[in-house]
Amino acid sequence: MAKTITIRARELNGQVRVKSIIRHPMETGLRKVKKTGKKIPPHYIKEVIVSRNNRMVMEIFWGKSISRNPYLAFEVSGSKGDSIAISWLDNRGNSDSAMVSVR
Amino acid sequence: MQRRTLLKLGLAQAIATGMVFPKSVKAGYPSKAFRAKQTSEALLELYGSADIASSDKIEIETPAVASSEMMQVKIRSGFVKTESIAVIVESNPTPFTAYFRLYEPQAYVSTRIRVADSGELLVVVKADGQLHTRRHPVRVGDICAV
Repeated sequence: MAKTITIRARELNGQVRVKSIIRHPMETGLRKVKKTGKKIPPHYIKEVIVSRNNRMVMEIFWGKSISRNPYLAFEVSGSKGDSIAISWLDNRGNSDSAMVSVR
Repeated sequence: MQRRTLLKLGLAQAIATGMVFPKSVKAGYPSKAFRAKQTSEALLELYGSADIASSDKIEIETPAVASSEMMQVKIRSGFVKTESIAVIVESNPTPFTAYFRLYEPQAYVSTRIRVADSGELLVVVKADGQLHTRRHPVRVGDICAV
């Protein structure tokens, strides 16, 4: 699978500011195909896990009201060189993860 | 096995398995709260109570007017021991939107959400075992540029 996660992590006074974007359709299940009127089945990310240096620091549960290509930003303690990893799991069992080191 | 191959395998595994979703996490997905049609129903599912005291230590920032498909919401909790942050959009067919469980002292999270209509957004913060909430008005408009 192509890379779906982009992460940027930067230290600022002992805090790591992380910004990330995940490529995902985030279908709510309410949208219809215009021509046929058939509903597009739901397809959305349910869980996101954030780790720093291989230890989980945040666990996120998402519903269908998260925008397409979800954006996620947060601050966590840490310093330059730490690794920040983000992984996601959707309602169809697809998943992906990515890791960066803090700049 | 060559050391290099082993290292590579180890790294691949760290990514593949080190970050796997533990069982407890899977059990933790609050599907009932996500299905709730009413804010109070979702709150009851999540916390066992819909009666939560308001606090201005929670800062919420959204654009003055945003597209219903994409509204960025920034949340900062002023509590030292913030354990979790929940986002609830009252105008959505299923109001409960996002839940952030924090395992370390953290104060800031931000994401982009869908908001069906202008109305109010509710953020619930659990800190040191106590629940706090704050309401924030949101306005949805037609923005051609988005």
